[in-house]
Amino acid sequence: MKRLFHFVPRLILVLALLAMFGLVREPVEQRMRARLIEANLLLPPPAQTAFEQMSQSAMMGTLGGLRTLVATYLTLEAFDYFSTKSWDALRQTYQIIVDLEPRDESNWVSAIWHLGINATANMEYNDRLPKFERERLFREYAFAGIAFAERGIAQLPDSVAIRLQLAEIYRVKLQDNCATARVYGDTIGRPGALGYVRRFYGYFMARCPGKEREAYDYLISLYREGKQQHLPTLIKEIKNLEVKLSIPDKERIPDPDPDLPRPAPQSQPSTPLPGGIMVP
Amino acid sequence: MSSSPPTEKADSRVQTRHVPLFSLGRVLTITSGTVTQLFRMKVFYFLFAFALVMVAAGNFSLPATPAQELSTIKKVSFGTMDLFAWLFSIVATALLIPRDQEDRTLYTILAKPVRRIEYLLGKLGGVLCVVGLSLLVMGTICAITVGFRESLLVSEEIGAMQADGHFAPDEVNQQIDLIRHQGLRPELALVVLAYFFKAAVVAAVTLLLSTIASSSLFTIIVSILVFLIGNAHALATGFWLQESGNSWVVRIVVKVVKVLIPDFQIFAFSEGIVQGEVVPYWLVGEMGLITVGYLLVFLLLSLLVFVDKEF
Repeated sequence: MKRLFHFVPRLILVLALLAMFGLVREPVEQRMRARLIEANLLLPPPAQTAFEQMSQSAMMGTLGGLRTLVATYLTLEAFDYFSTKSWDALRQTYQIIVDLEPRDESNWVSAIWHLGINATANMEYNDRLPKFERERLFREYAFAGIAFAERGIAQLPDSVAIRLQLAEIYRVKLQDNCATARVYGDTIGRPGALGYVRRFYGYFMARCPGKEREAYDYLISLYREGKQQHLPTLIKEIKNLEVKLSIPDKERIPDPDPDLPRPAPQSQPSTPLPGGIMVP
Repeated sequence: MSSSPPTEKADSRVQTRHVPLFSLGRVLTITSGTVTQLFRMKVFYFLFAFALVMVAAGNFSLPATPAQELSTIKKVSFGTMDLFAWLFSIVATALLIPRDQEDRTLYTILAKPVRRIEYLLGKLGGVLCVVGLSLLVMGTICAITVGFRESLLVSEEIGAMQADGHFAPDEVNQQIDLIRHQGLRPELALVVLAYFFKAAVVAAVTLLLSTIASSSLFTIIVSILVFLIGNAHALATGFWLQESGNSWVVRIVVKVVKVLIPDFQIFAFSEGIVQGEVVPYWLVGEMGLITVGYLLVFLLLSLLVFVDKEF
C-alpha cells in the first residue's frame, strides 16, 4: 500500500476513488430521485423559462437549494406588486413562483385571484386609462387568470380551490354562466368539495341558454334528496325554470315562491284578561 | 552492562500494553471532547438569529387564508432551519482540525495510542452530535411557533364560522381540517431528520476537504462551493445541455461534476413533507442508507489523506 502511495499522488488516488463511488451511486440516486418525485416529496426541476425570467440572485438561491425560501421571498415581492398595482410584474413573479413550487396549491390560487379578480377590478375603476384600453386589459388579466388556473389544474388535477377560484372569474368578471356551470360541475365529487358546489352547478346551468331542461332535471333531483336541499335559491331557480319550460301545474313543486311576501301567520284569538280587557 | 536490566523491564512493559486496533471508547472520548470544544466556541449563538427569523415569520401579514398563512410560516421557518443546519455543519467541521493544530491538541492526541480513523470518527461524531442538538432546538422552536399559530387560527376560524351561522358542522370540520393539514403534524419530525441527513453528508465532505486543505477559510469556501454545485447540478444539467445544443463537451463536464460531487438535491425531499404530502417511511429509510454510504466513503477517503499526514 505504501508503495502505491509512493508512486501515485494521494490526491489523484482520492479523486479516482471518488469517481468510482460516483459511478456506483449515480444510478442509485437517479432511481431514488424518480421515486421521490413520484411520491411528491421532491419537486421536479423548474422549467427553463423560469430560469430565464429569474433574477440572478433568485436563480443562485434556487440552484443553491433554497428553492422554498426563494419562492416565499418572491411571494412577498408579489404582494408588494399587488400593493402598487403593478400587475404585469406580479404576473411574471407568479410565473416563477409556480414553476418553483408547482405542487403548492396556494400559489396557484393566489395568482388566479390576483390576476382574475384584483387586476380586473382595478381595470374596471382605473380612470387614468382610456375606456377601450381598460376593457382590453380587463379581458387580458381575466384570461391570464384563466390560463394560470388551467396550468394549475393540469399540475394538481384534483384541486378544488383552483377550480373555485376559476369559477369566480367566469361568474363575477366574465359573467359566463355556461363556463361557470362547467367549472362547478367539474368540481363535484372531488376530495374536499363542499356541498354548495352541487347546487351552484345547477343554478348556473339554469342560466345557461339551451341548458334549461337539463338544469331543471338536475335541480329537481337535488330537491327530491330531502328537506336539507329545500333552500330558497334552489326553490327560486326551480320556480323560474317551471315557468320558462311551461311545466304543468301538477308537476310543479308545492313550495311558495321565496321572493313573494309570506302570508301573515293567523293570530290566535286573544283570551280576555280579568275585567274583560282584550290584548290586541 | 549495568543498563541491561532496566531495558528488559521496559520491553516487558511495552509487551503488556496491548493497544486494540479500534476502540469505541477512544472514539467517544474524542466525540465528547469535540462537543465541548464546539460548545466553548459559542456556536449556539446562531440560534438567536434563528429565533428572530421565526418571530419575523410569525408576524407576516399577507392577504391569505389561515391555511396559506400557516404554509408560509412553515416554509420560511423550515427553510431557514435547513440553511442554518448545512452552513453550521460546514463551518463547525472546517474549524476543528486546524483548531486542534493551532492549539497543539492534535499532537497530544496523535502521540497517544489513538488511531487516525478514531480521531476522524470522533471529530465527525462530535460535529454530528452538535448539529443534531441544534436541529432539535430549532425544530422545537418551529413546532412551538407553528403550533401556537395553528391553535390561534383554528379558534379564530371556528369563531368566525359560528358567528356567520349558516355553516353546517361538517363544513366547519372540513375548514378546520384544511388548516390543520398545514399545521403541526408528527411528519414534520421527518423534516428535521432529512435536514440532519443532508448536514451529515455536508460534514463528511467538509471533513475530507479539511484533511486536504491547510486553512479553515479555504475549507469553508470550497465546501460551500461544493454544496452549491451539488445542489445545482441536478437542476442545471438540463438547462446547460439545452443551451449548448447537447454539446459533447458539456456532456463530459456534466458527467465529471455529477460523478465527483455528491447530489445534495435529493436530500431536499423534506420540501414535500413541509407542504403536507404523505410520507412513505421506507423512502426516508433508504435516504438514511444513502447517507450512511456517503459517511462511510468520505470517512475512508479522509483517512486515506490523513493516515500518514505529517504535522
